[in-house]
Amino acid sequence: MKNNFMLTSESVTEGNPDKLCDIISDAIVDHFLEQDPYSRIIAECSLSASIVFIAARFASQAAFSLSEIARKVIGRVGYQGADFNARTSSVLTSIKELPLDPVYRFDERKLTSKQIAAIPAGNQVTTFGFACRQNVALMPLPIWLAHKLSRRMEEAAKEKILPYLCPEAKTDVGIEYRDRKPSRIHSITITASQKDAAKPALDKLRADIREAVIEHVFRDEPIRPDRRTEIFINPEGVFHLGGPSVHSGLTGRKTAIDTYGDYSRHSGAALSGKDPLRIDRVGAYAARYAAKNLVAAELADECEVQLSYSISRSHPESVQVETFGTGKIPEEDLTSLLQNHFDFRLAAIVRDFQLRRLPAMRQGGFYRKLAVYGQVGRLDLDLPWEKTDRADLLKG
Amino acid sequence: MIGPFTAQEFAVVETLHAAITGRARFRIRELYRCDSLKDHLERRLGADPSVISATANTLTSAVLLRYDSGATLGLIRSLVEKAVSEFNQSYESDIRYRLGKSDIADRRAQKNRFQRHSPSAAIPTALPALRVKGRTVEIPAAAPGSEPGQVLPPAIRHPSSGVGCLTYERPWHTIGAQAVVAACGGSAEAGLSSEVAREKIAAFGLNRFPEAPRRSKLQIFLNQLTSLPVALLGVAAGISVLTGGIVDAVAIMTVVAINSTIGFVTEDKAERTISSLKTLMHPSAVVVRDGARKRIDARNLVPGDLMIFEPGTYVGADCRLLEAARLRVDESSLTGESIPVFKEAEVIDEADIPLADRKNIVYMGTLVTGGEGRGIVVATGLLTEIGKLQAMIGETIAPQTPMEKQLNIIGNQLVWLSGALCALVFITGVIRRTALALITKTTISLAVAAVPEGLPTVATTTLALGIRKLNAHQVIIRDLEAVETLGEVQTICFDKTGTVTQNRMSVMRIFSGNHATELKQDGFFQGGKKISPRNSPELLQLARICILCGEVSGKEADQGSSTEKALLEFAVSAGLSIAEINERYPRIKTRFRTEDHQFMSTVHIAGTTERFLALKGNPVEVLGLCDTQLVGGRKLPIGEQDISTIEIENERMAGEALRVLGFAFQSAEDEEVLDGLSGLTWVGLIGMADPLRPGMKELIARFHHAGIDTIMLTGDQSPTAYAIGKALSLSRDMPIEILDSTSLTDIDSRALRALSQRVHVFARVSPAHKLQIVQALQDAGKIVAMTGDGINDGPALKAADIGIAMGHSGTDVARQVADVVLEDDNLETMVLAVGHGRAIHDNIKKSLHFLLSTNFSEIIVMFVAGAVGIGYPLSAMQLLWINLMSDIFPSLALALEPPEPGILERPPRDPKEPIVGRQDFKRIGIESSVISLATLGAYGAGLVRYGVGQQASTMAFQSLTIAQLLHAISCRSEKVSIYDREKLPPNRWLTLALGGSLGLQLLTFVVPGLRTLLGVAPLGLLDGAIIGISAILPLLVNEATKGEGERPNAENNGAYRKTL
Repeated sequence: MKNNFMLTSESVTEGNPDKLCDIISDAIVDHFLEQDPYSRIIAECSLSASIVFIAARFASQAAFSLSEIARKVIGRVGYQGADFNARTSSVLTSIKELPLDPVYRFDERKLTSKQIAAIPAGNQVTTFGFACRQNVALMPLPIWLAHKLSRRMEEAAKEKILPYLCPEAKTDVGIEYRDRKPSRIHSITITASQKDAAKPALDKLRADIREAVIEHVFRDEPIRPDRRTEIFINPEGVFHLGGPSVHSGLTGRKTAIDTYGDYSRHSGAALSGKDPLRIDRVGAYAARYAAKNLVAAELADECEVQLSYSISRSHPESVQVETFGTGKIPEEDLTSLLQNHFDFRLAAIVRDFQLRRLPAMRQGGFYRKLAVYGQVGRLDLDLPWEKTDRADLLKG
Repeated sequence: MIGPFTAQEFAVVETLHAAITGRARFRIRELYRCDSLKDHLERRLGADPSVISATANTLTSAVLLRYDSGATLGLIRSLVEKAVSEFNQSYESDIRYRLGKSDIADRRAQKNRFQRHSPSAAIPTALPALRVKGRTVEIPAAAPGSEPGQVLPPAIRHPSSGVGCLTYERPWHTIGAQAVVAACGGSAEAGLSSEVAREKIAAFGLNRFPEAPRRSKLQIFLNQLTSLPVALLGVAAGISVLTGGIVDAVAIMTVVAINSTIGFVTEDKAERTISSLKTLMHPSAVVVRDGARKRIDARNLVPGDLMIFEPGTYVGADCRLLEAARLRVDESSLTGESIPVFKEAEVIDEADIPLADRKNIVYMGTLVTGGEGRGIVVATGLLTEIGKLQAMIGETIAPQTPMEKQLNIIGNQLVWLSGALCALVFITGVIRRTALALITKTTISLAVAAVPEGLPTVATTTLALGIRKLNAHQVIIRDLEAVETLGEVQTICFDKTGTVTQNRMSVMRIFSGNHATELKQDGFFQGGKKISPRNSPELLQLARICILCGEVSGKEADQGSSTEKALLEFAVSAGLSIAEINERYPRIKTRFRTEDHQFMSTVHIAGTTERFLALKGNPVEVLGLCDTQLVGGRKLPIGEQDISTIEIENERMAGEALRVLGFAFQSAEDEEVLDGLSGLTWVGLIGMADPLRPGMKELIARFHHAGIDTIMLTGDQSPTAYAIGKALSLSRDMPIEILDSTSLTDIDSRALRALSQRVHVFARVSPAHKLQIVQALQDAGKIVAMTGDGINDGPALKAADIGIAMGHSGTDVARQVADVVLEDDNLETMVLAVGHGRAIHDNIKKSLHFLLSTNFSEIIVMFVAGAVGIGYPLSAMQLLWINLMSDIFPSLALALEPPEPGILERPPRDPKEPIVGRQDFKRIGIESSVISLATLGAYGAGLVRYGVGQQASTMAFQSLTIAQLLHAISCRSEKVSIYDREKLPPNRWLTLALGGSLGLQLLTFVVPGLRTLLGVAPLGLLDGAIIGISAILPLLVNEATKGEGERPNAENNGAYRKTL
């Protein structure tokens, strides 16, 4: 097992075309669930040459305007240039409406355990959840810091702190680990796009970002860049405009950013654009919930939970826990603890996390906010799977 | 014909005004639009000591002179005359030089004149101008409707006058706006007075192009006599006379007469139909006359008129702009450039620049797509750029359609082929030492019989008949070629409004002040309870905006679109009086909806200083302008939640296929504050239903069955578009693909090409985008039909392979540029038209097939017999008779075949496929061989029974003629044979033609004169039986082998369609 290593994780802002696709997909999911919690919906999006392509298959009673949802996202993300903006962008929608299937139109809140068991996972899926004691969110430090930098980049652009910035930015943070514990910042890379190719000059941009972004973000971090930390800002030179007019995007291409920044394993399946009856999406939430509670209960410092579902069964065929040698009790015992205290069946996850209800309950959508800066490890959103309410149960 | 001009002819100086001593005004016609003459006159006359000042005007053709009171009028006049003739002499040599070079390039090259980067485009060259003159010579006599005594445009009456203008020393675009106004004798504010306008019409003539003269009947008839077959027949007749066969010669000339008469009758009819296509429709123009805006017939535009440009304006004459605000003009009709160009009023210094770069000139025939502006008319009629072009390419004879061209090529090839074969027959005859006169006559007759002289006639006639048949179904074809193209259409694009919907809007639902209101027959309902709109300030405000913010103001309200009418109906039912509201809030400003802003607004006087802005448009865009909303009569801030509620309500209405508009207002003391772009107050949503026409879903399915893709275009938002697309099953059973874009112009053309092939619905597009859609589809290799009715649809209709205008609701411009006009506005007739288009192509092919296979059979019979040395089975007379029998009536009758069943169940034919392909030639070869074999068999039997002579010849003659006639039955269909259970619909004409021809054929046995002429010998019963069998057998054999090798192909086609 590796103990001393360097690991770097990437994060991007909302303006990244792949992320923009994720947000649009999840905004569509939100829109359908807000009006009809029993909606089934798969929404995929891609962006190329400033054209937005949306393919959606759904069974729902909701009213919808996919192109308006997309335009609204584009507008909110802040694209206003002539090259790409909410008003003039073209949206191609490919819509397949499916008949409402009574099988899925159940009220999960009123189901008996037997009824929950009768609802199969519907997919062969392996999902992973991870937690580690590297910060308050119990997330790996590199992705945590990368997200923090990205958020600050967004803020700098939106709040006009650095008014010349375009919505797209990419951040990378490399952390050096010693004995599996973060010891120092190895490197920081930020790529920022700007509205005017000539202004500001690269030097000015680099100085501005160092001051307004990096220093700002690390102000209250226990580990800060040291003198050896390599900092790259726009290493390839000026990045003009950025966004969909420069490169294309696709839903589900940033799964590492959505999860643990490649620190642990994660499923290859996209999380965005799927309704909560998709086990590949909600299974990842359930696994994170389990892993986080195990770490919070101090049963391990680092923990990866693996749930493997089979198409026809409601509960996972296999529940595995890996603690990388940090476990306080044997991993088999942890597994049985989880099986005793957590209900990993699809309908139970949906019920416990209120996954069909949250879009209507939360202002400004639910899933669309998950689509950027991580679907896990979010302290800003009060996510059900980030609660450590089972830690005491596990301890006892 | 007006010959080369002389200097004297120029010296036409007319005294206009000379009542005041010291002042005189003369008219010199050549001065019109001739800056060089103007300069010359001013310089030359100004230099004369007795002249104080000289001003020439190139538009009024007048010279104003102030002169010394010492000089007499006569002296001054002679001075002017001298100056003019001097000018003319100096130009003459120049002109002659240019004349020599005036080869007429082909149409396309001439069109290129207008394109950028073409050096020749820089100056309106001499050639077109001269060409104009050359043509116009005949026009005054032929132009129908030209009133006697009417003064023709100077260019026409004095063909030479324009010549002086060959080089524009100062073209209009280089002259300042004020100078233009002055030069045109117009006014930048008040326009022309109607009196001056009348005078100018008298001076310059109507703003129109003379119609090309039609071919006269005599020309058509003579045309029949100048063909190759007739020449051959003439030679044959001559030889007959020389060899003493007067009877033969008479017979041959009779054949010529019959052939020509039939050709003349059919062609004349076709010609009449075709020329009726050119019924011109006249657009209108908005000008300022006598200080007031007026809509006039564009034919009445005169130089100097002050024209107003608004989106959708059809530019009726060449104008120099005085003012332009974001004025965009579609010049595709001139330059082929699809993207509208921006125009501006500034002077351009450079003189020698392409027309397309003269940004301050708008050209006749173009369309304003956005912005607004004003301009002075500087050229009308034939003097406009498009007029010159038109005159240059003047279509005296309808251009040949691709099919006609193909047929001509095939015809020519056949002439050579049969010529070669006849030569072979001749050579073998010589080798076999047959009498030279006999071989010559036989060979010539064979050549005459073999040449399918009916070919072009059949095609033209069939096309023309198709046009008339379609006319009977309320489909007007405006272009001969369109009949052909109809059968090739692969994609049809149509407007939602008015085409698939009834274009009868009515308000169904309103969402305002957080309340949904339903409109029913008996009133307004909220939550099932009847309410009075008088108690709802929101509903009243909505109604007020509906009245105020209309595309047509005040009195003309009933001329508005169906949307506007529906809104007004609602306002009235809410208890408001349209007249009263309009009176109380006079409109002072209107801003129309544009491609960039999908909303319109109007500003009204609401008090002494108070101004009121009413706005309506795309709900999402309107909502984006508002920061407050009207609830319970009070303005409340509009929160995120409110916006979300309104948006979902909008989607809900749209999802029910309602057209939804958002309404807002703004009031202020100061007009400047009212920009209508922010800080508005939201009032509500109005959802209107435009019911689908009955049977539309079935119609779409029929298009799909016929292998034609359907694309719907709508200005609606995508949920409305989706709801209708779903109701119509536009995507068959595939996901519906909707492209929602207000700016197709921004999409990369390659991307649009790829997208256009997938998309079923284009949502939120404006008519201006249609052109791009058409071009994208054409780029992708599709044959595209496009419907349209508005002025903005013009360019797209023109660009489409088939532009379909709606006859009833359509504007003149749309009708004028369309290829097909659906008089009853019913898209269903379009399916019919496609069916007919396909049938017409099929029928021409059938005729051709018949002509070729029968003609070949004659050649084979003669050649084989000649080569084998068993004499000539057919005499020259018999060959001519066969030619007369088979080439005319049966082939014409085949051209009148009703459409085959299933013609709308197969994919459109590939336009690249030749009318007679390799496979067809093979088939024709087989069929003619079978017929020849049977005839040779009958001839052989005759030889065995009687030896060489009249008997055997008679058997061959009868067998071949009857077999050929019966072959027409086989040619009725490529696939359906007489053995098939599926029967073809009856063709009365064919029955008649075959019955008549067979009857005539029987007469050859009976009528003594005919018998001797054709050399028909009396035969026995057995001979009759042999003839009968040998005549029927080919039909049976050819029918049995029909369609072989094609069937698997047909199945492939089916499979291919399934994967689509």
